[in-house]
Amino acid sequence: MPDHWSGFSYLVTNLARFIRPDEVTFSGVNSTPPMLACLLAKRAYDFDFVYLNVAGGVQPAPSTIPISSSDPVLSEGSTAIFANEDFYDLCTRGGMDLCFLGAAQVDGRGRTNVSVIGDWHNPKVRLPGGGGGAVMLPTAQRAVTWRTEHSTRTMVETLDFVTAAGGLSGVVTPIAVFVKRDDRLALQSWHPDASLDEVRQRTGFDFVTTGAATTPHPSVDEVAALQALDPDGQFERDANVTLR
Amino acid sequence: MSTPKIISLDDMAARVPNGASLALGGSFLHRGPFAFVRELIRQRKTGLEIIKQSPGYDLDILCRAGCVAKARAGIVAMEGNFGLAPWYRQAVEHHQVVLEEHACMTLTAGLRAAAFGVPFQPVGGVHGSDLPSLNAWASVQDPYGSGKDVWVIPAIQPDIAVIHVNEANELGDARVYGTYNWDRIMSRAAKQVFIVAETLAPVRSFTDRPELTLIPSFMVQAVAVVPNGAWPGSCWPLYEVDYPAVAAYMDMDRELSLHMARAPERQERVDA
Repeated sequence: MPDHWSGFSYLVTNLARFIRPDEVTFSGVNSTPPMLACLLAKRAYDFDFVYLNVAGGVQPAPSTIPISSSDPVLSEGSTAIFANEDFYDLCTRGGMDLCFLGAAQVDGRGRTNVSVIGDWHNPKVRLPGGGGGAVMLPTAQRAVTWRTEHSTRTMVETLDFVTAAGGLSGVVTPIAVFVKRDDRLALQSWHPDASLDEVRQRTGFDFVTTGAATTPHPSVDEVAALQALDPDGQFERDANVTLR
Repeated sequence: MSTPKIISLDDMAARVPNGASLALGGSFLHRGPFAFVRELIRQRKTGLEIIKQSPGYDLDILCRAGCVAKARAGIVAMEGNFGLAPWYRQAVEHHQVVLEEHACMTLTAGLRAAAFGVPFQPVGGVHGSDLPSLNAWASVQDPYGSGKDVWVIPAIQPDIAVIHVNEANELGDARVYGTYNWDRIMSRAAKQVFIVAETLAPVRSFTDRPELTLIPSFMVQAVAVVPNGAWPGSCWPLYEVDYPAVAAYMDMDRELSLHMARAPERQERVDA
């Protein structure tokens, strides 16, 4: 058990814990933590799942771990190229079990804003846009997002714009894991170095906490897998995730 | 081996009128027609409409040079550790560029409508998003009685799809190694297709394995051969992203001309 569980490791490990045996799981563009989570799960867990990614990879075995989560190296070792139209159509017809999607703001109903801070027509900050979100969030069996910052700016009562709706099944931040319960986000667990009070204070929406507890520490296998994926800590430094 | 279809990069860009709508192949920093985009800047094109599900460097540098009037896109970023596309962001925030915000698949639905020859195309999902009201998209109820509502996207027909590929032949057939991203549907939707190829390959290599051809020659109007033309992005499996070059491009204090002068299509001209 590590003395200190870094925000980066907490994020990647808890994203990986959403992955289930034999399911079809997808990681997309602009999504380094989920990419690492999928690769971690392949190494750390003693079950198989179908890993698809935005580079067209189907069960790939990339020789290097790229900075860009859409890098074509992510199709290395793949037996097929399952390109963009293929994986979107798979998702909309219900064949995507777990889909990782990005977000700038998340509300209590598990909707996301990836479009704009401020008014859409007069933006304070023009954000990247939702990419797959508006189509994948409501059609994937489960969709999970992450935020590297847990604050009332990112976990909000009211989104500046609804890019994607449909209800996230999970949200992971450096201090907490939320899951869907009765069409709302509910707290599942919090970082052992944080507290329920801190999560409440730093979250802009109300949530239920029934059954919530501290997050189980990473297993030996999870620690070893992340270490193997990021041996010199470059991804961790680049991600620059802090608990607070 | 010169045929009418094989032209220089300069001539290819010269065929693009101001105000044209261009679908650009690839995704983010990967296999984009970036040499072509830089040639548009050198020729001082204006009023362009850029259509791409996940643009980054291409849309950003065109915004930086003032070439763009409108962007239709699903997600715009430099990706990796670079985050937002700064000049694109500025152009939208200052109302210099009109954004038509899509999800990647709604843009694709519009391209599919054009490719299929129908005025609109259903798309899965989108329910609950603010995007439909923003774009005045309509929904239709299943006319066959399931009771389900489906969003429909109007056709999007680019004037020209410009696709960077690994190999083309003198006739214009083109193939891509690794993922072809959205390039197939772009090529079917557009009125014309321009190919920028890393290299020319023998026609015989295409007739040997025709199923590997992504875009058949009869749909292609022009081919330019530009080795390393996707720089500073990657072209699998030939070369990776040149991250130091992208970082230098992102330096707001550095002149764009310095970046442009380093481009491989300029180096070769200097060498020649």
